[in-house]
Amino acid sequence: MIWKIAWKNIWRNPVRSFVVIGSVTVGVFAGVFAIAFMNGMISQRVESAIDEEISHIQVTGKGFNLNNDPQITIPDISHTLSILDTVKGIRGYVERTIISGMASTASKSAGVQIVGINPAEDQKIFSLNKTIIEGTGGYFTKESKFNLALIGQDLAKELNIIRFLIDSAALSELVKEGVPDRILNKVSRFSGERFKNEKNFDKRMNDILLKEEISEYGQKIKRAAWSFREGSKLTLTFLDKDNNQVGAVFRLTGIYDTRNSIFEMSTIFVKNSDLKRLTGMNEKSFHQVILRLTDVDQTEAVTSELMDILPGLDVSNWKELQPDLAMMTDYVHEIYAFFMAIILAALAFGIVNTMLMVVLERTRELGMLAAIGMNRKKVFSMIMLESVFLSLIGGVTGMALGWIIVHLTARNGINFAQYAEGMEAFGYSAHVYPEIGADFFIMIAVMIILTGILSSVYPALKALKLNPIEAIRTE
Amino acid sequence: MKVLELKEVNKIYDSSEVHVHAVNDVSLEFSEAEFAAIVGPSGSGKTTLLNLIGGLDKPTSGKIFIDGTDLSSLRSSKLIDFRMRNIGFVFQAYNLIPVLTAKENVEFIMSLQKWEEKERDERTFELLKAVGLSERANSRPSKLSGGQQQRVAVARALASKPKFVLADEPTANLDSKSATTLLEIMEKLNHEEKITFIFSTHDPRVVKMAHRVITLEDGKVVSDDLRELPE
Repeated sequence: MIWKIAWKNIWRNPVRSFVVIGSVTVGVFAGVFAIAFMNGMISQRVESAIDEEISHIQVTGKGFNLNNDPQITIPDISHTLSILDTVKGIRGYVERTIISGMASTASKSAGVQIVGINPAEDQKIFSLNKTIIEGTGGYFTKESKFNLALIGQDLAKELNIIRFLIDSAALSELVKEGVPDRILNKVSRFSGERFKNEKNFDKRMNDILLKEEISEYGQKIKRAAWSFREGSKLTLTFLDKDNNQVGAVFRLTGIYDTRNSIFEMSTIFVKNSDLKRLTGMNEKSFHQVILRLTDVDQTEAVTSELMDILPGLDVSNWKELQPDLAMMTDYVHEIYAFFMAIILAALAFGIVNTMLMVVLERTRELGMLAAIGMNRKKVFSMIMLESVFLSLIGGVTGMALGWIIVHLTARNGINFAQYAEGMEAFGYSAHVYPEIGADFFIMIAVMIILTGILSSVYPALKALKLNPIEAIRTE
Repeated sequence: MKVLELKEVNKIYDSSEVHVHAVNDVSLEFSEAEFAAIVGPSGSGKTTLLNLIGGLDKPTSGKIFIDGTDLSSLRSSKLIDFRMRNIGFVFQAYNLIPVLTAKENVEFIMSLQKWEEKERDERTFELLKAVGLSERANSRPSKLSGGQQQRVAVARALASKPKFVLADEPTANLDSKSATTLLEIMEKLNHEEKITFIFSTHDPRVVKMAHRVITLEDGKVVSDDLRELPE
């Protein structure tokens, strides 16, 4: 009966109840969506880091990670690999050669890490091949008599390999993209002019376009003007096995885009065979073996096992290599709970206010109930249930709305192209696919119920303090 | 059989501004199935006395026994439970629960006492029939007239078969016809259910129908007339 009365009571003043329910709905929806967005960003970052950059676990020669000394290779690689074959949970592994060096073009140079890979094997466990920008070539797909290098988009821009050119093809693409004539007219003023770097192109756009126009069409124009010549050359300089400086010309096989500027700026992939030949390293010498696991949750267990069975080598997992990501994934639920707690705490004040009004309005009725024998526990329960019902109706509606919007936006993602530069500088993709798990909804539901209960405590205590005699006399 | 006994009960309101001896040395006894009215001018202590009898207020001195139990010996939570099981209340302003139907209002106390649903339904039906409202069982209070609401309140007060019913000015808000109907119903239930009714009232119609009339003046019992013993 208490449940029934509490349920009916919340509909006594439907407008007021709907205002409270509405505020809870909006608050919970905002929380769910914001968290799904953050969760999507973090998941994408972690996936990208594992799939394209660092993998789950790296095995290196003792001390190699301290200064990337090319002399520190994995001794007896065949024995190490045979040991890895016996460990459960490893989906695959590949050997890599890693040399620090300098990449140069005619106009620019940059310090890089040159990673020697076996492309055929590497792509079996790594997804770097899926990040090649269309039109820039491929992932070592074409046979070539030249040394080949795969570089990141940001390094290509830095080295002026990517240029910007407004030509007829670029203008046609802008027409297709729906860019209005007034913008096309302005842009066509520098038609045919080749910009060596992004900075100059940006400067020119700033000269002719308004700030709002750049904000709306800048990315489209830049994308259309993006120009790259397949087979462009760059020189890589590095030390050979005897610490002699050597240099070689490499032709670009493609440009990758991991949406992580730091990684793109610093990592160039070449074929192991080319690197071995140029450095004079033994074919069986490798600096690193990277491992993919069948299940990311086994990372710590497999790391620990490998440290035991490979005492002469360094074993590092992705959490140790990227502690910022580890912190985010390890404490993500706590962070989300804290975020939701702030939202719900703000909503709780509204619920407390409403429940206080309820107690005030129903003073006589509460006095009557106490007089005829409704005990304190039941009075408290009734007020608490009303508060929980209000919170839950709003909360469930907010969660449902959040779930629907998350699923709708997750199909195509949300693209913050205009903020891409800033987001990618921190390793985050500007195209975010919100995602949220069922366990998160359970957590929110529990928090909403707790909010309802806590919000009812003060009003319920007020109700309990009523003197039945005085309360019954209230008009 | 004695259902209620007051022994030298006093209630003094003593504050810095006012000193009122609202109930002054009152000793009374009520037996089963009495139909008693407490009368007196405004401020004579009728409602205070009713509140003391109902356990809603505590006497400054003296004892109140209900069915042999001393109310002052009961702690707050026990007292609420005791009230629920032994005393029925009818208020001047009806005080039904507005979100519940007439039937649900009558059932309410039984439900708090965890009666079986079947028993509850039977008792509710019986009482609503007795007060002439079985046809309006599913109506909410807002759809009932004042007289009908007070009849539902009487049915609610009797639902859990209390030792006695306290009715504070039950006819004060009713028109003449509704008041007469209500009084007839209460008298009938008093006979049928053998439950004591104690009214505080100004209403001469109530006084006329009462079997016992207790007159208060300045908190003191100045007369206690037994007119007719219940059968």
